[in-house]
Amino acid sequence: MKNNVWYRHSGPEGDVVISTRIRLARNLAKFPFPASMTGEQRAAVVELFQKTLAEHDPGVGTLRYLSMQNADPNEALAMVERHLISPDFARCEEGSGLFINADETVSMMINEEDHLRLQVMQSGMALDEAYALADRIDTQLDETLHFAFDDRLGYLTQCPTNLGTAMRASLMLHLPALQERGTLQRLTGTVSKLGMTIRGLYGEGSKSQGAMYQLSNQVTLGISEEAAIANLKSIAQQIIREEREARKLLYGHPQFVDRAWRSLGILRCARLLTHDEFLELISHVRVGVAVGCVQGPSLDDIGTLINTVQPAVLMQEAGRSMEPSERDEVRAAIVRQALA
Amino acid sequence: MVCQLCGKNAATTHFKKTVGGRTEEYYLCPVCASKQGIGSMWDGFGLDLGDFWGSLFAEPTRQKQDTVRCENCGHTFSEIARDGRVGCPQCYVTFYDRLLPSIQRIHGRTGHVGKAATQAGEQAQREQELEALRKQLAECLANQEYERCAELRDRIRALEGSGNEE
Repeated sequence: MKNNVWYRHSGPEGDVVISTRIRLARNLAKFPFPASMTGEQRAAVVELFQKTLAEHDPGVGTLRYLSMQNADPNEALAMVERHLISPDFARCEEGSGLFINADETVSMMINEEDHLRLQVMQSGMALDEAYALADRIDTQLDETLHFAFDDRLGYLTQCPTNLGTAMRASLMLHLPALQERGTLQRLTGTVSKLGMTIRGLYGEGSKSQGAMYQLSNQVTLGISEEAAIANLKSIAQQIIREEREARKLLYGHPQFVDRAWRSLGILRCARLLTHDEFLELISHVRVGVAVGCVQGPSLDDIGTLINTVQPAVLMQEAGRSMEPSERDEVRAAIVRQALA
Repeated sequence: MVCQLCGKNAATTHFKKTVGGRTEEYYLCPVCASKQGIGSMWDGFGLDLGDFWGSLFAEPTRQKQDTVRCENCGHTFSEIARDGRVGCPQCYVTFYDRLLPSIQRIHGRTGHVGKAATQAGEQAQREQELEALRKQLAECLANQEYERCAELRDRIRALEGSGNEE
């Protein structure tokens, strides 16, 4: 496990906001969109990005290039689990690849749904900082590549749902108390009226495993980047406030304090841990640490652990494929050591 | 109630979508619903967005002859409508008028606000757009679609005007 990756440290509003992500979709005017490209065109697009990035260093540290065709399947899946690439992209073969910097804050998917998907990730609530970085890299690339743009429709994308700014800004939120109180259903309706979505990060349906939720802007046409980010920020602030108040109420009760400590106890002793069970328990511990009723691990320790014990990440670290039962054993051992 | 898509079977699925504060409702029969991928949502397979957006592009009342192809990538409008994916950036110019209603349905509005690309190739792009418009005009004239001809002429004039100002 690398020591310098962004998710090892919690960021602003870290008790509720786990991370920030900004993603920009860009295309080259001269080429068809990825779904309509020939193999030769795909290779030409990859080459063009390689050349441009080599000649105009975006200044985010060394960028490693990973051709999806040659990628180890476990490494590709581990990247999906760390939200660096999409599940579809992990299955991509010829003529698509990923540029990624050392601390994994900046990644660029080439020939996914669009020619370029530029992504910036940061710890905690850092929408302005993340957008500023994405904006700077985009502007620099645009000077050479001249991205497809129309005055009326904005940045042109393969799917019309991304037209306009082609920007998706997301916050990953830990909302155990709002989930516990059943407030999230109401929230889902409210945010959708404001052109945003909130959905569970792990698992399907309204209840998310580990109470992790992703709040993102949905509408990209007719609203500027700054306005979309300001909206997202103000909704997030309200959710954060409500989550903190709900935590205060819940964790005034001994049974919730007890549950947080018991969860830590199981994690410190278990010999087998499925990923689902781990997520549920670490969520109880995390909120206990955040409200200050549980002492021991820090939010940084917990964040690192969450990103270390996902199935494919485990296998990538081990350098081999493992059966689920073997993974559960390895996971339990890592967790025991981290929380000892 | 009769299904809004096929107009034959009884509608059993009520589907509601809210984007940007605009809510749209669909009443569909089981066959059409499953074709849109809506039936399968309850089976846990997720919504097939390709099909879904594809259906948004459909122009059920205007069965046009698909004579216009994008000059850059060769896509027709029905191909875009079928896949829910646009062929290339130029398609947005070629099929602007026909894509616009769907874009409005998706985003609740039209008209970009925000960052703009540098567009060093602006002149070249304008030329390309003019060429595409002139070709469409010729086809409309041949098909005697005079109302559309007038619209196209206005857009060509506007574009030519904006080029001369510089």
